[in-house]
Amino acid sequence: MFSNYVSVALRNLVKDKLYSFINIAGLAIGLAACVLIALFVRDELSYDQFWSNADRIYRLNTTFNTPGREPMVTVMAQGPTKDALKAYFPEEIEAVTRFNSMEVVMNKDGSVFSEILMWTDPETADIFDLEVVAGDLRQTLQDNASLAVNESFARKHFGEGNPLGKTVTINLMDIERDYRIGAVYKDLPHNSVLNFQGLAKIDENDFTKQNWEFSQWYSVNNYVYFTLKPGASIRTIEDRLDDFVDAYIEPPAAIGNAKSSTYVQYSLQPLTDIQLNQAGARDMEMKPTGDMGTVMAFAAIAALILMIACINFTNLATAKSTQRAREVAIRKVLGANRRQLVIQFLGESTVIAFIGLMFGLVLVEVALPFFSEFVGKDLVFDYFDGGTIGVLAGLMVVVGVLGGLYPALVLSGYRPARVLKANKSAESSGSARLRSALVVMQFAISITLIVSTGTVYGQKLYATRLDPGFNKENLLVVRNTSNSGAVSKRDAFKEQVLRIPGVVDAAFSSDAPASGNESNISVRVADDDGERTVLIGVHRVDYEFFETYEIPFLAGRAYNRQNALDVTPNGFAAEPGDLLQGNIIVNEGALGRFGFGTPKEAIGRVVKASVGNDVQAQFTIIGVIPDIKFQSLKEVMRPEVYMLASFGFSNLNVRYIGDPRPVVAEIEKSWKSMISTVPFAYDYVDEVMAQEFEAVESQSMLLGVFSGLAIVIACLGLYGLAAFTAARRTKEIGIRKVMGATVTDIVRLLIWQFSKPVLIANLVAWPVAVWGMLSWLENFPYRMEAWMLAPLCLIAGLIALGIAWATVGGNAAQVARANPIKALRYE
Amino acid sequence: MLKMHNLSKIYRTDEVETIALNNVNIEINSGEFVAIMGPSGCGKSTLLNIIGMLDNPSEGDYLFFDENVARYSEAKLANIRKRHIGFIFQSFNLIDELTVAENIELALLYHDIAASERRDRVAAVMDKVGIAHRAKHMPSQLSGGQQQRVAVARAVVGNQSMILADEPTGNLDSAHGQEVMEMLQGLNEEGTTIVMVTHSPAHADYARRTINLFDGQVVTENLRAA
Repeated sequence: MFSNYVSVALRNLVKDKLYSFINIAGLAIGLAACVLIALFVRDELSYDQFWSNADRIYRLNTTFNTPGREPMVTVMAQGPTKDALKAYFPEEIEAVTRFNSMEVVMNKDGSVFSEILMWTDPETADIFDLEVVAGDLRQTLQDNASLAVNESFARKHFGEGNPLGKTVTINLMDIERDYRIGAVYKDLPHNSVLNFQGLAKIDENDFTKQNWEFSQWYSVNNYVYFTLKPGASIRTIEDRLDDFVDAYIEPPAAIGNAKSSTYVQYSLQPLTDIQLNQAGARDMEMKPTGDMGTVMAFAAIAALILMIACINFTNLATAKSTQRAREVAIRKVLGANRRQLVIQFLGESTVIAFIGLMFGLVLVEVALPFFSEFVGKDLVFDYFDGGTIGVLAGLMVVVGVLGGLYPALVLSGYRPARVLKANKSAESSGSARLRSALVVMQFAISITLIVSTGTVYGQKLYATRLDPGFNKENLLVVRNTSNSGAVSKRDAFKEQVLRIPGVVDAAFSSDAPASGNESNISVRVADDDGERTVLIGVHRVDYEFFETYEIPFLAGRAYNRQNALDVTPNGFAAEPGDLLQGNIIVNEGALGRFGFGTPKEAIGRVVKASVGNDVQAQFTIIGVIPDIKFQSLKEVMRPEVYMLASFGFSNLNVRYIGDPRPVVAEIEKSWKSMISTVPFAYDYVDEVMAQEFEAVESQSMLLGVFSGLAIVIACLGLYGLAAFTAARRTKEIGIRKVMGATVTDIVRLLIWQFSKPVLIANLVAWPVAVWGMLSWLENFPYRMEAWMLAPLCLIAGLIALGIAWATVGGNAAQVARANPIKALRYE
Repeated sequence: MLKMHNLSKIYRTDEVETIALNNVNIEINSGEFVAIMGPSGCGKSTLLNIIGMLDNPSEGDYLFFDENVARYSEAKLANIRKRHIGFIFQSFNLIDELTVAENIELALLYHDIAASERRDRVAAVMDKVGIAHRAKHMPSQLSGGQQQRVAVARAVVGNQSMILADEPTGNLDSAHGQEVMEMLQGLNEEGTTIVMVTHSPAHADYARRTINLFDGQVVTENLRAA
């Protein structure tokens, strides 16, 4: 019995090659896409599951509810939380550790380079079971002159030899010390949100001058992780977090008399949840994370593509069912019951699904390296990995049943008396209608995917071409100018750079575009009730900053060297309690916050702010600039002040003309001759800004590829349907031609038949696509115009229609040209 | 063997009601060779389909071995059918994707018969109808007469006690037609009941009894002298 089914199935496949090709190719592509996406999804879901404590590790996230601004959500917390948590929750918390990433200058055997290392607490060794391959991690983390490094780092700097006991000199802020390599651990697997190549112990005495790093309650620089004691409930901690805040944090002036917990809020995030749940924070993770939305979107796309392939199967099988009606009738005459026939046809569709799966796996093997590289992961497809084969078999059966069930029911339902007597088979109008509906669905999915691809790509173009309010072209940033080896020489370096041919302007600044840094200052503004405090973003800039960035002024003037008051006064050079004088430049957004009216009206108005050492200064507004998009194009514009203060000048912004390469070469030469202990590093501003949208760009490309695949599969199906329909209609076409229809008439007739479902598909797809894309665009503060979706929808519809015509047209023309006599005599 | 009492078959569409069989009373005994004749559209095929349990009557009784099967479900009918009745069609109705041997075997597949026994019985019946040398051929490679011999083999391989033949010679030339008729006669002599619809008076002469249908009614029954 079984061999009989198989031989009928295989001979049917061989006999009807077009039918088989369409089904198998469609299923192969669909299943391959599914497997690739499944690998991606599985990987995303596997993050940090491998730690032995995975279910007990949590991270402390901090949110600042600054009055008048969006809450600022960070994935970090303040340094003092480590001891405070342990003291406040002794029953619940087992161990707490901090991670603080620092770029250090290393000197090894006379060569100088910079590396990023993670400063951490000894508890890291207890919380995270890092795989140590040499040395003693616990001991290393107890010592402020020892380093634990991963294998890649060890290999990079110490070759294949034993790195243990070797030393490097590290320069970081006030640290200048030899560190001994005390432990080597295996590189972290890629599916972890943690990322560090080296660990050094946090010794707060090393950072007394930089007390914001580890000792201040208003500076958020540390990833704080803790383990819950076995059996303890995380809810107990969550319920008391507000009390914890009020117990440790002084309320800031900006919130008046309210409790600290209205301003600072903590939330606890399970380690395994971090990869896919951004907790509303801008990305400040150790490395870029994914998000659940993307994972869901891709899973949905996989399911949709597979569905399109299954629809092909259903459609072709029902279209072809008339050809197999006789077989069904004979089997029934010979005693087959309906159940046996259903099993036979489902078996056949499963066989086809199996063949499709085999070709699909070949496609997966071919495409996996490219796909892996594209999603930036090291994906492995292991057939013998627990459950893989089971999942593949399951997928095959699901596809077989999904695609084959309806045809099996239709076929097995044929009444033999009718089929055999009439010697033809009347297809029920029901299955023809279902077929049209399914074609509509296929094209609706394809069109939606095209519109989505277009929108994602359009948004990427929009964001990268958006005018940020300054001239980002021909601008580069030299980094590291605030490193200890560079600070004293940076003014001379700037002079040197200005003399280089091709350099037009140069200016220092604390931040560079898209750096993601967030610093704020409390500003006091006089109003009717006396004074109120406003927290506002701050950038520290050089005299030539506005000129270098080509930022226009809405009112007032830039800073200049003739005016001594322009320099932000230094509180440490005054007595506590003094009131100093200074000038300040603000952006348009700040005026709104201050309540200062138009830019012109704001000139000359006064605000107060602390300038350190408990000294206040009174700042007169001398200039107003537009809201330039300096921070990040992914962030909402914030109100900002630009102070003329040299503190934290870590960037030298250089505007050049002509070819940048000789300019960079000259700058590097000057740097090396003047600042030998700090590595030279630079970026082009426009490139840095474009990098922010790399993720969106790769998303749009992936979407493009997958919607292309969806359309290919849908068109394969349409082609097959057109061929079968034309074959079935040969007699009708013959009669029409005898009656005088021309080839054009016939082609038009057939094409119109297949245009209808595509047109209806547009009506289904457009609202879905528009709704989906409008909500996706909500993620971006600067987004392309919504009306752009209208032409996108039209274009997608035309593309789908064009492809459908091209698919059906050739076949239609061939059928239409055939000699009608042949068709009529044959019947 | 079978008895029909006041049996009618009415086809209804939305607007038209067609009476295909009208109060038919027929009795056929085991071992008979009956021919059913009549002009196109008189209800011959409908009658044959009901006898073969491919269709249910609208009214009346149909006793098959004293069991009234007139209202039986499709599944129940299939079960009786596969044990007792073999079919031969004008257009042969072989499955194009199966070889000659596989086509014949098909009739045994839906019975619980071991593969080895199936093979033996298929071989035996192929010998009997003289197509053993064509066992591995596809139907499309055979002549019409050969195809009909395969169909006959398929109809009897399950040891069915009755064969229903719907114009078995309609698509054959006279030489091949006669060949098939002789085969049917041979089967009848071995005890198989045969009911055959035919247009050909010559072929009807092979039967012992002829039932003439007109407009859904039995008009005459002729017995041929033995």
